[in-house]
Amino acid sequence: MNYVYFVPLFPLIGFLINGLLALARKSYSDGKHPLKSLVSWIGCTSVGLSFLASIAIFFELLALPAGERVVQKIAFPWILSGKFHIDVGFLLDPLSSVMILVVSGVGFFIHVYSTGYMAEDKGYARYFSYLNLFTFFMLMLVLSNNFLLLYVGWEGVGLCSYLLIGFWYEKKSAADAGKKAFIVNRIGDFGFALGVMLIFWTFGSLNFSHVFENAPHVLALGGGLVTAITLLLFLGAIGKSAQIPLYIWLPDAMEGPTPVSALIHAATMVTAGVYMVARCHALFLLAPVTMGVVAVIGAATAIYAASIGLVQNDIKRVLAYSTISQLGYMFLACGVGAFTAGIFHLMTHAFFKALLFLAAGSVMHALAGELNMQKMGGLKKYIPITFWCFLAGTLAISGIPLFSGFFSKDEILWKAFSSPHGHFLLWLIGVATAALTAFYMFRLFFMTFLGKSRMDPQVESHVHESPKSMTIPLMVLAVLSVIGGYSGIPHSLGGSNRFEGFLSSVFEHGHSETQAAAYHAVSTEYLLMIISIVVVVIGILVAHRFYIQNLNIPKRLAIKYKFPYRVLFNKYYVDELYAIANGIASVVKGLGVLIRKTQTGYLRNYALSLIFGAMLILVYYIFR
Amino acid sequence: MVGLNHYLVLSTILFCIGIFGVLTRRNAIGILMSIELMFNAVNINFVAFSKFVTPTDFVGQIFAIFVITIAAAEATVGLAIVLLIYRNFKGINVDNINIMKW
Amino acid sequence: MTYQLLLPQIFLFLWAILIFIIDFVRKEKKHNLAYVALLGIVITTVLVLTSQKGELFGGMFQADSFSAYFNLIFLLTGFLTIASSVEFTQRLPSNKGEYFGLILLSMVGMMFLASAGDLLTLYVSLELTTIPLFVLASYRKDEFKSTEAGLKYLILGGISSALLLFGISLIYGLTGTTFLTEVRTTLIVRFLSTGNVGPALVLGFIFMIAGFGFKLALVPFHMWVPDVYEGAPTPITAFLSVASKATGIAAFLRVFFHAFLIFQVDWVMLMAVLAALAMIIGNIIALLQTNIKRMLAYSSIAQIGYILLGVVAASSRGVSSVAFYTFVYLFANMGAFITAIAFSHKTGSDEIKDYAGLSRRSPALAAMMAVFMLSLVGIPPLAGFMGKYYLFSAAIEQRYIWLVVIAILTSVISLYYYLNVVRQMYFQTSTEESPILMGAALKTALLICVIGVLLLGIYPNIFLNFANQAAMVFHY
Repeated sequence: MNYVYFVPLFPLIGFLINGLLALARKSYSDGKHPLKSLVSWIGCTSVGLSFLASIAIFFELLALPAGERVVQKIAFPWILSGKFHIDVGFLLDPLSSVMILVVSGVGFFIHVYSTGYMAEDKGYARYFSYLNLFTFFMLMLVLSNNFLLLYVGWEGVGLCSYLLIGFWYEKKSAADAGKKAFIVNRIGDFGFALGVMLIFWTFGSLNFSHVFENAPHVLALGGGLVTAITLLLFLGAIGKSAQIPLYIWLPDAMEGPTPVSALIHAATMVTAGVYMVARCHALFLLAPVTMGVVAVIGAATAIYAASIGLVQNDIKRVLAYSTISQLGYMFLACGVGAFTAGIFHLMTHAFFKALLFLAAGSVMHALAGELNMQKMGGLKKYIPITFWCFLAGTLAISGIPLFSGFFSKDEILWKAFSSPHGHFLLWLIGVATAALTAFYMFRLFFMTFLGKSRMDPQVESHVHESPKSMTIPLMVLAVLSVIGGYSGIPHSLGGSNRFEGFLSSVFEHGHSETQAAAYHAVSTEYLLMIISIVVVVIGILVAHRFYIQNLNIPKRLAIKYKFPYRVLFNKYYVDELYAIANGIASVVKGLGVLIRKTQTGYLRNYALSLIFGAMLILVYYIFR
Repeated sequence: MVGLNHYLVLSTILFCIGIFGVLTRRNAIGILMSIELMFNAVNINFVAFSKFVTPTDFVGQIFAIFVITIAAAEATVGLAIVLLIYRNFKGINVDNINIMKW
Repeated sequence: MTYQLLLPQIFLFLWAILIFIIDFVRKEKKHNLAYVALLGIVITTVLVLTSQKGELFGGMFQADSFSAYFNLIFLLTGFLTIASSVEFTQRLPSNKGEYFGLILLSMVGMMFLASAGDLLTLYVSLELTTIPLFVLASYRKDEFKSTEAGLKYLILGGISSALLLFGISLIYGLTGTTFLTEVRTTLIVRFLSTGNVGPALVLGFIFMIAGFGFKLALVPFHMWVPDVYEGAPTPITAFLSVASKATGIAAFLRVFFHAFLIFQVDWVMLMAVLAALAMIIGNIIALLQTNIKRMLAYSSIAQIGYILLGVVAASSRGVSSVAFYTFVYLFANMGAFITAIAFSHKTGSDEIKDYAGLSRRSPALAAMMAVFMLSLVGIPPLAGFMGKYYLFSAAIEQRYIWLVVIAILTSVISLYYYLNVVRQMYFQTSTEESPILMGAALKTALLICVIGVLLLGIYPNIFLNFANQAAMVFHY
């Protein structure tokens, strides 16, 4: 278990070395970093080593008896001040081991992919140092054994995300997108910080084990305090995981380099909110109101984002809305108490969404940066590897049986229906979202790879498959997207759901509760499964009809249903919400302009304010 | 018989005159003199308290001596700065000295 | 009596005089006296670290862990200030030596003040601190802004010390003593026998808070800060913003926690309101600033609001968090100012918009500035986060939830203007490509600040222990 220190340490070392290389000012003024290969080696190896350490930890944990799979490792005491004690400590349990595997594993392949994708960029060393730093903070986030260290990771990944979204700052839109992400996340983090403070106030400690063990004794079930704490924490999750109403930053975040979108804005950072809710399940289960809020916001976000994805033309934006929608699924799972299902989907989603983004990046690479699907088509023959990988990802996300997404998504839908926290309507929304997902993903797939080419002839002449450094990670992730679900085949399909068994020691409380109430017949489960398969197939067929057989249908529909189409195309016009946030900012600024007027520059006015201040204090004492 | 209260009233009046001077004078030297008035009001306080509250102890009087000394030092520095101001701004009207604001 | 306790102060004072003498007698003014001054500070630091604890003159002078802690803050700030003044003084036409002598003298005042156990010591050392600063603020004699800063600082400083003195005289009249411990016992006896201590004490509070409020730059006594910070030579601004503030904190803690802690109901709520005001007003006006020195001035007003959270907690953890945060603030703020010094030496500008593209002109300098800014915001794992967290938890412990909510909310606002500097450096481009060159002294100073910011965030225990010991001086 002592490898655990190395898991975050390697990326940190990678960051330090690459950071120093990036600071060597002269080096990349001529376009390329002279030590490029060194930078790539350090960047990839550090994360790769951390991945190996994670694997070792995973197997060691697996070797332990199920009940003892919780290990705490203290690196060093962080704050020692009387009874006030916080360690830089790591909590190893099935949940965190799954998370570090996903983060370092997917992270490693994305690092490798980046060596090809970013090869020509003049900020090469800077890019890898940010990416390493991000990996470090993300690993700290999922490994921490207390809220404060979690918060360190939480803010750290946000900072890296900001830096990486705005990586190509010469583009104004990129710099603006970075700023938007940071500001919107601030609202969530404000809630999160307050929640953490409230926990400290209540428990006098921030250690996970202390807080969660004492929670049932200190907090009343459904009490106001625990509801407030969990709602505040969930506000943080909403910001980080891009849920309604704070999701608006994520589509814009696509301004960053594509591997960044894959790593940060699909596979890892945005799932931090789900992880945090799952980690704090002991608190959330004490607050039924919050659970309801989590489930409803998750379901609403799932269908809402999916509906926007139906009509977008920018390949990365579609994937961004799809990510938001899938995150909604995960929260839906958490909200109905099916934390295992949520984490399971988090894992499979990390595989197939990273794959989809990287494949999209490969498409962009082939088409000299083109993002508009209207200007693609028929790419299959040019970039076959990308084509097949993309197909695997699309099948997985759509929930086609035998692909990973099927198992995890179906688990969530089943729990949404059967769990005591669940509801028929939640299931219905989930199924509808599944249909929409299948439709927009295959729309994307058909428009990009099949049909006639709509490319500019000039672009078409240069289309080429990406280098090996990019295609190999694609293939690995494609394999994972296909088989990733077999760790969690549900009992009803003859599997043993090893994933759930592995995580059950973490979610014992939530698990036993759902299990006890899950009296529904297996036949119901089969029926629901068949329904979801049917709607998915319908979704695919419709997409096929629209975008392969009869290309005029979408146009006719867009004209016929002009209003709904415009609404969806313009993303429900909600970007104006950000304008409200900006409005608040300008109100504050206006206030500042007013207050600033008191600072007249006249010495005698300053003297007056001194005396006036003393008078005010006098008045305070008189009327106290 | 002049008692403690008389001194205190005197010092308070003197202090207020000082404040009034600081707030109304435009001439930098005038402001410095008003500040001196405030210091002297404090000195009256100290000496009076020393005499009436702690007749056997001289802390208050010693304090007053220190205040006088330090006020002299401050006035020296003050006058030097006023001199600089006069050189730069060609005048010592404090209302004309506001390059920096907001 | 063991006058040994006074050794650090006496030594530094003599060293300052020595510098004046050298400057006066030497004919060749080639060599820079900065290094002599730095040597003096290093020796004094050793003396402080090895000095014993105890008291002198019947308690007028207290050498304890509290004074040692703050002495280290003053010495370190002085060191960084002088190190970053090397190039500044080389450009001065004359009086290069005096500059360092005056800084050292001011530091002597601060060190005495941290040890003050008596209102007379407190007052005299406070003046010894500020009078050299008046001179230093207007050191660029030919510059309009510098002299204006000097005048404003002098006159407002004079008024505030008159107010403070008036408060002291009332306390003296009420208790018949100027010793802080005796003040406390007299007040307790009076309170126990008569049931109240009368309006004179409250008047004393008012005047003393107004006096300290000036030093600490509390709203509404903060008006001088932006103008003086902008006009004074930048190294002096840095010195003012850290050392002079720390002096105010030390003095305030000495007086209010030694003598008036039992009457905390009478002033803690007032300080809470003043803290909220400082955080709100400082942060909001800072949003609008375009000059880095002015922006940092308003930011320092807001930072003092955060520091007051620990004062308001009025507990041992509160004081220890105040002491700890002062160190945190020292590194981040000095670092930011030193960056500004380096930048303006090269470009002659203090405008934030001129920082555009700095990440490409001087990546290392930009990265360090980003670290300082992020620390001031309180982004983990930097020192600012640890300090703020410690302050907030001290306030939470005493049930000041509303104040912490304001604090967190205003730090969200503060993000906007601190990040603006980062945004300029990293996300804006400029045509200027030439790097910012720095001398060895400046580089060393910057490096110390960066290491401090990182160390205090990642491994704060060393300093926390000192801060806890310092906090143990008071009886809660």
